[in-house]
Amino acid sequence: MLLVIEQFLNGLQLGITLFLMSAGLTLVFGIMQVINLAHGSFYMIGAYVGATVAAASGSFLLGVAAALPAAALCGMVVEFVVLRRLYEREHLDQVLATFGLIMFFNELTRIIWGRQPLFMEVPLWLGGSVELLPGLVYPVYRLAVIGVGLAVAVSLWALFAKTRLGMQIRAGGVNRKMVGALGVNIKLLYTLVFGLGTLLAGLAGVMAGPILAVESGMGESILILTFVVIVIGGIGSIRGAVAGAVLVGLVDTLGRAFLPAVFRMLFDSSTADSVASSLASMAIYILMAAVLVVKPKGLFPAHS
Amino acid sequence: MNDKIMEVKGLNKAFGAVTATNDLSFGIDRGHVHALIGPNGAGKTTLVNQLTGDIFPDSGKIIYNSQDITRLKDYRRAHLGIARSFQITHIFENLTVGENMALSICAHSGHNFHFWRHSLRSGIVKEKLEGALGRVDLAHRRHLKASHLSHGEKRQLEVGMALTGDPELLILDEPMAGMGPGGTIELSKLIEKLKGTLTILLVEHDMDVVFSLADMVTVLVYGEAILTAPVDQVRKNRRVQQAYLGDGW
Amino acid sequence: MTSTLRKNSIVASGGLLLVILPILVSWSGHDYYISLFSRILIYGLAAVSLDLLLGFSGMISLGHAAYVGIGAYVVAIFFHHASEMEPLFTWPFVLEGSENGLLVLPLAVLISALFALVIGSLCLRTRGMHFIMITLAFAQMLYYFFVSLEKYGGDDGLSLYSRSSIPGMDLGNDIHFYYLCLGSLLVFIFVARRLVYSRFGLIVRGCSNNERRIRALGINSYSYRLALFVIAGAGAGLAGGLLANQTEYVSPGLMHWTLSGELMVMVLLGGLGTLFGPVLGAAVFLLVEENLAMYTEHWMVYMGPFLVLVVIFAKRGLFGLVAGGENGNE
Ligand SMILES: Nc1ncnc2c1ncn2[C@@H]1O[C@H](COP(=O)(O)OP(=O)(O)O)[C@@H](O)[C@H]1O
Ligand SMILES: [Mg+2]
Repeated sequence: MLLVIEQFLNGLQLGITLFLMSAGLTLVFGIMQVINLAHGSFYMIGAYVGATVAAASGSFLLGVAAALPAAALCGMVVEFVVLRRLYEREHLDQVLATFGLIMFFNELTRIIWGRQPLFMEVPLWLGGSVELLPGLVYPVYRLAVIGVGLAVAVSLWALFAKTRLGMQIRAGGVNRKMVGALGVNIKLLYTLVFGLGTLLAGLAGVMAGPILAVESGMGESILILTFVVIVIGGIGSIRGAVAGAVLVGLVDTLGRAFLPAVFRMLFDSSTADSVASSLASMAIYILMAAVLVVKPKGLFPAHS
Repeated sequence: MNDKIMEVKGLNKAFGAVTATNDLSFGIDRGHVHALIGPNGAGKTTLVNQLTGDIFPDSGKIIYNSQDITRLKDYRRAHLGIARSFQITHIFENLTVGENMALSICAHSGHNFHFWRHSLRSGIVKEKLEGALGRVDLAHRRHLKASHLSHGEKRQLEVGMALTGDPELLILDEPMAGMGPGGTIELSKLIEKLKGTLTILLVEHDMDVVFSLADMVTVLVYGEAILTAPVDQVRKNRRVQQAYLGDGW
Repeated sequence: MTSTLRKNSIVASGGLLLVILPILVSWSGHDYYISLFSRILIYGLAAVSLDLLLGFSGMISLGHAAYVGIGAYVVAIFFHHASEMEPLFTWPFVLEGSENGLLVLPLAVLISALFALVIGSLCLRTRGMHFIMITLAFAQMLYYFFVSLEKYGGDDGLSLYSRSSIPGMDLGNDIHFYYLCLGSLLVFIFVARRLVYSRFGLIVRGCSNNERRIRALGINSYSYRLALFVIAGAGAGLAGGLLANQTEYVSPGLMHWTLSGELMVMVLLGGLGTLFGPVLGAAVFLLVEENLAMYTEHWMVYMGPFLVLVVIFAKRGLFGLVAGGENGNE
């Protein structure tokens, strides 16, 4: 039982990372109608900048403080230079151009940081573990990640539900021309939204730094999981991003943790292991297929 | 059979706060040219889209040839003999004029899992293409890419495509919008020629055209059908003149 | 119709060049180029099959490499079982491995098509961005599936110790193999050409253009688009079967989405909505990769921005530039 809770927390933590990624991406998809494959690159940039600054300064917080503006800035520059020209274009153009961006960023990080992965240390004050329940010790750092993610989710909700900016963003998604006519600078608004999205990606990246290896191409594996989240949750919906992220995080983690045991009870061990590991690696895609069959537009489709 | 080819009963459709169709009921007599008029934003296109199955109403019924088709998918309605043109031209811009017409011919000729023979050389297309192009005076344009046609010709092509399946009910959403006077006359002639061979629901702004072509008129204001009457009565009706003709039309 | 003439003569001279290429190469003594050009033909085949989706019917599949990978694995798995002399399975019937190209290549095509049928029937329930993401996700699912498939080498993949055998040909000979690839490519292009201009092709080209109009004409496009998805998957499977033979090695990397992206790039570079353009695109992409890689290992840092520029400024691709005329409808 304790094992289940532990794996549950692990799943939640993956879900939080996915949420940070998908929240930004789903906004860009939903509001600007642009498909951005390069979103994972900003995750990677966040991780690299964070790891480098943290290692040089010895302060994890400084690393985070550098990673966020770096990711946001890169995002806004990319929006300004490339994506802005693609809003009115076909999805195919957007796919190809952002694929080009991925090539560029992956290779650029190899040039700057080399091919060897970087490792980022968990800061001392977040190191160690706490005993959550009798017998259940859990790393503080992972708890902190979960906490930060929840805080971001709440702030995003507040931003969209309570503030003028949030209202403009939502209206911009509904009717670009109308918002423009109301005197809102829609171009600037888009750049800001894009920057916000990449900032969240950068945050996800730097927080994943101490958990995963920081390496070139790390953005793509998370990107594809993010796509699965968005497909499940529904494009353009923050609520969908929350639900999808938690679902994918849990299914993936729990599947990998417990499917082998379940299968070993049913079959002899060698088949069980190979079948279970294949199934576990495909679990979220099967989940996605199931959602698609029932609700082709995702669980919480944004109003179009 | 009923002399009404289509009947609409208590139709409602809202987009958020906008009520685009409001408890709307009317019928279309078989063989008539039935005009649908009303100011911009009255809900004419929305109504057409519901009749063709492009969108579904929130409530109400659509009866076609005594059959309830309210929830029938758009492509199935096409098979029942309902054809349409769109207010914003919907042709296949990337295909040639001939291919556009061939495609619509193929659409009405069984399945299209024919993988090998050139579409323009398939029997059914060979048989019908010439006539279909000729009917809308586009035979000389057949090799031209549709995107290169003039606006008026695109409209002709669209109407021509709608006609290839020999529909029983043809719905034209402002077919003359944006056309020069020449094009309007051409299209009026075509409709005149078709009159009697099929039923036409014509959404049109130009009152001269309506009065010269239509048998019946339904007036739509704010999603409501305020009047359905023979064309002569509409000409005299004060409410229509106030609601519609009075506004400088 | 001078542009048609120009296009035809370019295609004819390109084809002729490919036919006599082995002679030219053996004169010049750079034998290595034979195998490079075999790869170009194979990738060209995969790119043409992808262009059926991207260029002719507007279905943006970002998972096309999956079918290349399936085709490759079919050949490799049959080879593996043949060399281990162990049947693939014994129930419900005994299936032995095989090295016979006349058996395994058609099987590669068939099984890829089958996967495309299952995956396509799910993906085609959606449109637009959803479709792009879902094709990608399913391809990645297959990738992880093969990574976890320890029996066939998992992450490390499988080596073939020789190429398939075809009676009357010696595929181990690079020139024979080259002509097999060329033949496959030309046959596929010929079939695709018939397809594109057939009634079926007319419908799917119409779908890419104006789905709403298609429906108003009374056509439910789902089954047509699915059929095309399957045909494209079959073409990719053939390319995969050849690729496994060419490299004598398969790995999950063949299904990785970066390969799907690269196939897309080839289509775009060559010319979207043309049947010969993607071959040209594959040639340019692989030759550039080959040559840039000689000067710098970081060639992608140049390729990426170049791609962005092509997308923004030169939509018609190389084939469009040299051949003139318009894309999308040959
Ligand atoms: N898809 C839609 N979403 C929201 N509002 C719509 C939509 N389509 C139409 N409307 C609204 O419904 C009303 C009727 O529009 P329409 O049917 O196009 O009128 P008409 O064709 O008579 O000019 C208008 O107020 C229009 O803004
Ligand atoms: Mg209208």
